[in-house]
Amino acid sequence: MTVDATPAVGIEAMNVYGGIASLDVRELCTHRGLDMPRFENLLMQEKTVALPYEDPVTFAVNAARPVVDALTPEEKARIELVVTCTESGLDFGKSLSTYLHHYLDLPGNCRLFEIKQACYSGAAGLQMAVNFLLSGTSPGAKALVVTTDLSRFALADANAVQEWAYSEPSSGAGACAMLVSGTPHVFRIDPGAYGNHAFEVMDTCRPGPDTEAGDADLSLMAYLDCCERAYKDYARRVEGADFRETFGYLCFHTPFGGMVKGAHRHLMRKLYKAKPPEIEADFAARLGPSLAYGKRVGNTAGGSIFLALAGVVDTVDLTAPQRVGVFSYGSGCCSEFFSGVVSADGQARLRTMGISEALDRRYRLSIDEYEMLLKGESVVRFGTRDATLDHGILPEAWARFQVGQHLVLDAVVGYHRKYRWV
Amino acid sequence: MDSDSIVDIIIRQIRDVVPELEDHPIGRADAMADLGVDSVERSEIIIATMEELGLDIPMVKLHGPRNIGELADLLHAKRAA
Repeated sequence: MTVDATPAVGIEAMNVYGGIASLDVRELCTHRGLDMPRFENLLMQEKTVALPYEDPVTFAVNAARPVVDALTPEEKARIELVVTCTESGLDFGKSLSTYLHHYLDLPGNCRLFEIKQACYSGAAGLQMAVNFLLSGTSPGAKALVVTTDLSRFALADANAVQEWAYSEPSSGAGACAMLVSGTPHVFRIDPGAYGNHAFEVMDTCRPGPDTEAGDADLSLMAYLDCCERAYKDYARRVEGADFRETFGYLCFHTPFGGMVKGAHRHLMRKLYKAKPPEIEADFAARLGPSLAYGKRVGNTAGGSIFLALAGVVDTVDLTAPQRVGVFSYGSGCCSEFFSGVVSADGQARLRTMGISEALDRRYRLSIDEYEMLLKGESVVRFGTRDATLDHGILPEAWARFQVGQHLVLDAVVGYHRKYRWV
Repeated sequence: MDSDSIVDIIIRQIRDVVPELEDHPIGRADAMADLGVDSVERSEIIIATMEELGLDIPMVKLHGPRNIGELADLLHAKRAA
């Protein structure tokens, strides 16, 4: 691939925030009476559960703060674009990025907006930032792209748990903050190297503020169709691209690991008529590392490809730089396959964020505690005018906030959310 | 090839993907989900069946059948189209 003549652009710094409380997914499946004889094949372990005083803003700000704090005042002043990428918005008009702008104390000469396209939102946000920088209209500018999603669907009514059943074990919560600039230490984008596939389909949707509906089979089919066709569009644009040879590692949108495994198998059969042993070995080598964080926080929607990328950068041998192929899919549906290069410098920088250690510190919920949270009695529902949050709901979980600084939701006053650092 | 021959292919692929069902009786009226075949396995069975039939169409075009017989009928129709 000949991409060296193009200007450098990509992710300068990134961080993943996986919340403060987690749940063992196998325990949940057993409790729900789900018959999953081959549970191991689904490649799920834990998922992050949002507490009532956590919301998409706290997740996003908690992910972004270490990234922004590491900047000099001059560097911070060059953040000219803040994009939040989410399907968990709090208002039909006001975007989450306005809250981020305030709590991260960013400059006033800044574009603030939000992107929605189910789990594709993060890829869309990154590409918008990358193309803003490549346009050259503001040389030296930086952009902050933050994916933030959490699942609280089941609290709509008693039937919602039933409707949600197929995706409850995989639905997680998490945010990923990315500083995008012309000094892409963590992930250097291959400019112009991308492929898309999109069509209208009703596979999974969020028809109301706290509800999710979907068809697991149709969603999986659309994902597989997109994976093949977005990659083929990439190969059409990028001379010499070879799925098996071009990418040292791969990151696929990860509702759960088993789905990624199915898509990889589909592609290897379609493109190379590869046999099961080769496919299995290739999956373990090139996709295994991408599951490191996803299997601990669950599906983070728009952020899942970036959690996958963080897993790769944090855990693999980067003595030599590696090209990573990324596939994003968002229900409804839109998808993209793109690529970039990761190196040892980025690995050293990302490791200072201590992502894995923060996940280790989470409070492990019992099933009873999880069910209590699911009933949602203390959760601020979409459209709430006034509320005061009870931080004492799970004292042991609250104690986990003692390490580092975290933003929590304090109150809602006239629809305006008020947050506090603890 | 008629729909019943396609049913035979689907059943063979089910047993290939889920060896636990080797000795389990499977017929047209059975739904894969009821046999304990999970969604990833279902897609794999459909892909393998399409390959065997030399059918190359988007997977979403095969959404809707409620049992193995209906899936075979749809594959048969797509093949003839």
